[in-house]
Amino acid sequence: MKPDPVARLLAALPRAESAASPVKDYPTLRLAAPADILAAARILKDELGFAYLEMVTAVDWLGPVSLAGFVSSANPSPFTKKAPPPPVAPAAGAGIAYRPVLDMLWSFGNLQTGQKVFLRLEVPRDNAEVPSLTSLFAAADWQEREAFDLLGVRFSGHPNLTKILTPDFLKGHPLRKDYAHEKDAYDED
Amino acid sequence: MGIVLDKFPVVAKAVPGGQVLLTSTDYIVDLGRKYSVWPLTFGLACCAIEMMVAYAGRFDFDRFGVIPRPSPRQADLLLIAGTVTKKMAAPIVEIYHQMPEPRFVIAMGSCASCGGPYYDSYSVVKGVDRIVPVDVYVPGCPPRPEALIYGFMELQKKIMGMKLERGGGATAQAEKGSRDLTGEAA
Ligand code: SF4
Repeated sequence: MKPDPVARLLAALPRAESAASPVKDYPTLRLAAPADILAAARILKDELGFAYLEMVTAVDWLGPVSLAGFVSSANPSPFTKKAPPPPVAPAAGAGIAYRPVLDMLWSFGNLQTGQKVFLRLEVPRDNAEVPSLTSLFAAADWQEREAFDLLGVRFSGHPNLTKILTPDFLKGHPLRKDYAHEKDAYDED
Repeated sequence: MGIVLDKFPVVAKAVPGGQVLLTSTDYIVDLGRKYSVWPLTFGLACCAIEMMVAYAGRFDFDRFGVIPRPSPRQADLLLIAGTVTKKMAAPIVEIYHQMPEPRFVIAMGSCASCGGPYYDSYSVVKGVDRIVPVDVYVPGCPPRPEALIYGFMELQKKIMGMKLERGGGATAQAEKGSRDLTGEAA
């Protein structure tokens, strides 16, 4: 019989909500506080058999993308010179609530039963800090370094939280909506 | 060393005891270079898949004397197949300088030629010619193996124009952009 991960997690973490903003139709749980992620991951791994950490990532919900993050102009095509530049992000409203948070997302898989569980957690953009899962999953190491590198989330307890993808001279976290690119030696003159 | 003739190879038949092949040193050296261009096994992104197809049975790059080498110290050709990220830029320059002269560079695909679809990106070098001199550009996203083979044959044409009196083919690294192997443009 397949375990019901949501019911078990809700029993242990009563403040979490289920089914709020689910990922597709997978069981998704929104945690209430950063401290819950370690407890939830431990239950998932040790009791329910979700021994496979698939992904650690985040979504930046701060307003539309800043054009300063682009290296050249917003509309470089010579064929569409006269047209106004295309909108880079949909306006707020219509189901989009811009707010200064990073929406963390963890994905766990159970290789025996083929189930998947997603955990979500909103943390403030400035000073985003969540506990690291490296003590439970070795796979969390590089995933968390990537989230740190691209989105600036700090994982407390990570043994080696350094850049993994971007070159050393790149400043800032490129997937943040307000990322502004500083010209470097390889950019246009 | 050698007798330098302007004519292409001539076979003088009426010599007692056999045939004599007269050729220019340039011609015979370039011929050897042209049919033994050994590329470095080096794929960076999706273009590398097409490069592998060019090596495989259907297109059979080996027919041209293209035998991939695993070490830059044994390679003549740096085939940049894919997206050059800023993080990869420094290793590419290092690999380039580890190759023995004369060395050639083919930029395969839009990414390696000019940045391609990632032109606006914060992390991509807008063309590998910003860091190493390029001999042949192969456009396409990705170029088909035929296009790569055509680009390689253009490189062979350039090699045939190289002259020993210009220093055995060793050319100074161009600051930026393409390189004129034959010196004809100058
Ligand atoms: S040119 Fe196209 S196929 Fe080649 S590496 Fe770039 S994106 Fe990939």
